[in-house]
Amino acid sequence: MAAGARWAELASTVAAADAVVAVGAGTHADIGGAVVGATEVTVPAGIVAFEPADMTATVNAGTTFAELAHALAEAGQECPLDPRDAEATVGGIVACGLSGARRLGLGPLRNQLLEVTFVTADGRVVRGGGPTVKNVTGYDIPRLFTGSLGTLGILVQVIVRTQPIAAASQWFRSVRDPFDLVAALPDAATIRWDGTETHILLEGHQADIDAQVCAVALEPALPGPQPGTLPDGPHRGRISVEPNRISELADGLRGLDARWAAELGVGTVHIAADDPVAVSAARDVAHHCGGWLLREAGAPELDPFGASFPAAAVQRRLRTALDPTGKLSPGRVPATAPASPVGAAA
Amino acid sequence: MCFPESTDDVAFAVQIANQFKMPFVARGSGTGLAGGATPLDGALVIVTTRMNRIIEVDPSARYAWVEPGVLNLDLTRAVTYLGVHYAPDPSSQQACTIGGNVGTNAGGPHCLAAGVTSAHVLAVDVVLPDGSIERLGSLAPDTPGLDLRGGFVGSEGTMGIATRIAVRLTPNPPEIRTLLADFTAIDDASAAVSAIIAAGIVPAALEMMDAQITRAVEDFVGAGFPRDAEAVLLVEVSGLLGGVEIESDAIDRVCREHGARTVRVAVDPDERALLWKGRKSAFGAVARIAPDYYLHDAVVPRTKLVPVIRRVYEIAEQYELICMNVFHAGDGNLHPLLVFDGREPGIWDRVHAAGDAILTACIEAGGVLSGEHGIGLEKRDAMTLVFDADDLDLQARVRDAFDPDGLANPEKILPKGSRCGEIQRVPEGAWI
Amino acid sequence: MKFDLRLQLDLHLNPDELVACVGCGLCLPHCPTYRVTGEEIASPRGRIAAMRAVADGRAAPDAAFFGAMDACIQCRACEAACPSNVQFGHLMEDTRAAQAPERSRWQRAVEFVAYRGVLPRHRVLTSGTRVLAVAQRLRLVPTRFGLPQLSVRPPTPLAPDPDPDAYLFTGCVMDAWQRDVHRSALRVMRATGARVGLPGAGADCCGALHVHAGRHDEAVALAGRVMGAFPGDAPIVVDSAGCGAALADYGRLVGTADAAAFSARVVDFSTFVAGRSLATRPGSATVVVQDPCHLRHVQRAHLPVAAVLANGYDVKLTADDGLCCGAGGAYSVFEPELSLAVRDRKVAAIRTAAGTDSFVVASANPGCAMHLSAAGLDVRHPAELLEQRLGTD
Ligand SMILES: Cc1cc2nc3c(=O)[nH]c(=O)nc-3n(C[C@H](O)[C@H](O)[C@H](O)COP(=O)(O)OP(=O)(O)OC[C@H]3O[C@@H](n4cnc5c(N)ncnc54)[C@H](O)[C@@H]3O)c2cc1C
Ligand code: SF4
Ligand code: SF4
Repeated sequence: MAAGARWAELASTVAAADAVVAVGAGTHADIGGAVVGATEVTVPAGIVAFEPADMTATVNAGTTFAELAHALAEAGQECPLDPRDAEATVGGIVACGLSGARRLGLGPLRNQLLEVTFVTADGRVVRGGGPTVKNVTGYDIPRLFTGSLGTLGILVQVIVRTQPIAAASQWFRSVRDPFDLVAALPDAATIRWDGTETHILLEGHQADIDAQVCAVALEPALPGPQPGTLPDGPHRGRISVEPNRISELADGLRGLDARWAAELGVGTVHIAADDPVAVSAARDVAHHCGGWLLREAGAPELDPFGASFPAAAVQRRLRTALDPTGKLSPGRVPATAPASPVGAAA
Repeated sequence: MCFPESTDDVAFAVQIANQFKMPFVARGSGTGLAGGATPLDGALVIVTTRMNRIIEVDPSARYAWVEPGVLNLDLTRAVTYLGVHYAPDPSSQQACTIGGNVGTNAGGPHCLAAGVTSAHVLAVDVVLPDGSIERLGSLAPDTPGLDLRGGFVGSEGTMGIATRIAVRLTPNPPEIRTLLADFTAIDDASAAVSAIIAAGIVPAALEMMDAQITRAVEDFVGAGFPRDAEAVLLVEVSGLLGGVEIESDAIDRVCREHGARTVRVAVDPDERALLWKGRKSAFGAVARIAPDYYLHDAVVPRTKLVPVIRRVYEIAEQYELICMNVFHAGDGNLHPLLVFDGREPGIWDRVHAAGDAILTACIEAGGVLSGEHGIGLEKRDAMTLVFDADDLDLQARVRDAFDPDGLANPEKILPKGSRCGEIQRVPEGAWI
Repeated sequence: MKFDLRLQLDLHLNPDELVACVGCGLCLPHCPTYRVTGEEIASPRGRIAAMRAVADGRAAPDAAFFGAMDACIQCRACEAACPSNVQFGHLMEDTRAAQAPERSRWQRAVEFVAYRGVLPRHRVLTSGTRVLAVAQRLRLVPTRFGLPQLSVRPPTPLAPDPDPDAYLFTGCVMDAWQRDVHRSALRVMRATGARVGLPGAGADCCGALHVHAGRHDEAVALAGRVMGAFPGDAPIVVDSAGCGAALADYGRLVGTADAAAFSARVVDFSTFVAGRSLATRPGSATVVVQDPCHLRHVQRAHLPVAAVLANGYDVKLTADDGLCCGAGGAYSVFEPELSLAVRDRKVAAIRTAAGTDSFVVASANPGCAMHLSAAGLDVRHPAELLEQRLGTD
């Protein structure tokens, strides 16, 4: 099979290289530290299998979200990865671990992933997880891969859950206390607040949407630019904070020269600015509120994470166990350096 | 065996175990069905039953911090008055602990739409196998670095011991409808399940019970399950009124199209509770038929239910065993139960052979070994049926990264050597 | 495991009942001693595993084994919760019976006086009660024993109706210590239109405590006397859940068709009242219903209590699936620590259910009532509570 041959080829490239990094569409290239001097590899694209009646799809990691969405839509389904840029590849989205915009209603990215196939640092093709919608056979390798930034292996294929596209989907607007809305609308797909106005996406059956609108007195979104559009700019960050502390965070962000949108009930705050200093200042605010800020784009001087990794010793051992020489995306995450390859010895 | 009362106690016990290079095993209520909590080779058993406090409940941010010994149902009961519940509801929920649920990544009837334990654990405080204490995950949506929380959930005590768990609380649905459809042929019921999913409906729960289970359960609860049905489906839809009506109508129609004799809708919460009590007592009730059972937990694609279920009964017949099925049909998670009297000579060989044949059939249909009970000791040696040597080697490395000295529940999950230990229901010595 | 073979003990357990336990653990949360200790050996599953080990000769019936068996309150909540239909009550009674000769001398001495000397002899008990009452007034009896305030006056006898269509069982402990409850029960039954008879001679002890203690032969003898005291086929109304459970189990204990027919006539007071019409005045005082194990788990007849009281009170139920209060007959005397730990849990559940500081607890069993009274709760029998609301506004 062609894919198999491509994988074997890829495996031998990876095995032979001193440093290697997978490149997708480059839409998330600023996430994590810069990788320099590594052999760049690409992975195959294409939808391998899609079983609407089972609500699962097997996708090559190089497939763009746009292509996946298109194929699923033909059967009235979708996979809510919802990247900012539809040209992002599925492998890239998984490696970056960025959950989609409808996380409040549809859950984080990690819940969508059922199986991963990847090339290991020593050039083997390995599979973790399984094809079924429910599975505890062995360790949860797919979850470890979400957000691994290409440091555990080169993803070549994934199996994701799919779901029916909601019968109706509509944006609304409200000037009510945004935090009351979270309590009042437990079924909202997303509730996004920019400090003055709140936009709400409701999905489901029309009758239910109407009932919610009526109960909470929502107004239809104004015509014009898509209300769901995230703030944009050359320098961007993503703050992660306890949902309880968003209002405190917002107080801190107000003084900054930056545009932001908070996903209420989730704790993700998207921030964009024309000056990297504002992103840096937003990070200080995030830290003050017990959260952290991931650099998403631009701000080259800014540390990519600006936060220590919990259970750092385990993280280090994990990376070392899977990649003893540190050849996978070197520089992407802070120093995996003093590696005593504990796992590899066993 | 020790009964720690705090994270520090657990850390202390693990440090002692480290000092003497003694393996240790975490144990909650011991309801696990894969032998995960069975101590081998004089391991130190660290029992969490006395760590049973609900530490903090925040209904507006919808989370609770609990100790691992809190019983699943106790948590839900303690928070219902706030209009929320803890969604994963294993059939053993009245007895199993949240810690054990985290250990096995437990599922339950209502995990079909809501997702299994891993989707409901925000953070875990863990005593790592070296005795250090770390927090994996957080109440914030993302944590820097790898998702160790995700790696830990379902690790069956081989990556350390959870001592505090932040779980997500789910708002109670405003509308719930529970349907009981009865069928005169197993195939029809299986086909109805596939058809419901294929119609794009993900009910809150979609469970199937075959004739023998239905009768055994009815003897216990008297909920009015039809004694003469070949199979029944217990389906629940919940959420907002409009969707509930549309979906329950569609389910009713699909069931009837697939030969359902009747579709009954529970009229009130009491009737619903009774139906669920029946479903959740099913495992226990099998002893009314024969004293021993052997259980698999394979998952198959939902499109393959009809042929796989048919095959399961054929295999049982071939080995002259009674086979009963009660399972989470909506996600294809089978629970074929072989029931027998272990005192009958030679029976265990037949049971093992039939069990292996069933597993093989499931895997050939594109399935996996376990959907929710875990691998533990019992399914460990079957891991080679689904993973090759490289896959297993990788998993071993992941495990060793958490537990370099191999003291945390060794011998579980990953195969080593041949099948060991009898399939015992209660771990020997568990009561000592 | 090695042990002294001379210690081998045949528990005479029914092997089918013993293997019926599949170890699912669904009973664990319903077991009071497991709830307060968290230990497997203090759970039904652990106890069955231990019995099985001893029955199979894999473990010694040593002090640890007996300790584990003695720590069981015999509330039989596990039995009601068990989907496998494990007959735990029987297993435990049989184990106790086998174990009886092995018990400590001290325990045997106490039991001898209690079970042989006092309980079946009505007059000894009534006069003993009066002595106790005086002692109580003089504060000679520790409150831990939770005896109700006893009357110093000799009790006035109850008067039966002619041509009865229902009997009221009066028993021993209860008759002497809580004669007022009978009086109330009698009035309420009459208010439902019943003609109430009282037992003839011989019905002075149901034998429940003997069964619990494994004193099988004495229990059978007592059962014979009791059955003789209720001629005819009128229902036998029992206002003590413990006695009711014992009477309802004569069929199995004695093993004759007559005994089974007798057991079928036994009905709990509240069930009896619920099946008839009774005029009560509505009221709003808070009553928390405590389900005695012998009513809820053994007779499975606890629901009518709340139903009949609801006509006169604001009835609250505890959210603990009727977890035991820790009284368990003589249990509170022999296992004081566990008993008190279990009671603390129960009291907390009752207070939570009440949601107010001013409430009364309804208990259909004198043992539970005494045990809970000693924890400072105001406990009444449902019959007394109903009597207060008799009539129309
Ligand atoms: C009647 C019945 C029905 C069941 N139904 C379901 C069902 O619907 N869905 C389902 O998923 N399961 C089901 N189970 C299986 C079982 O109840 C679950 O696996 C449950 O999660 C085990 O919880 P426990 O507290 O009994 O854990 P135990 O059995 O004590 O332990 C299970 C595993 O978790 C580990 N563990 C325990 N505590 C911790 C901790 N604090 N930290 C880390 N690891 C720990 C143990 O080492 C062991 O490997 C059922 C079992 C029975 C008997
Ligand atoms: S007694 Fe019944 S409920 Fe308890 S473990 Fe045994 S089978 Fe399960
Ligand atoms: S009778 Fe009561 S105390 Fe004894 S094991 Fe059963 S539940 Fe526990």
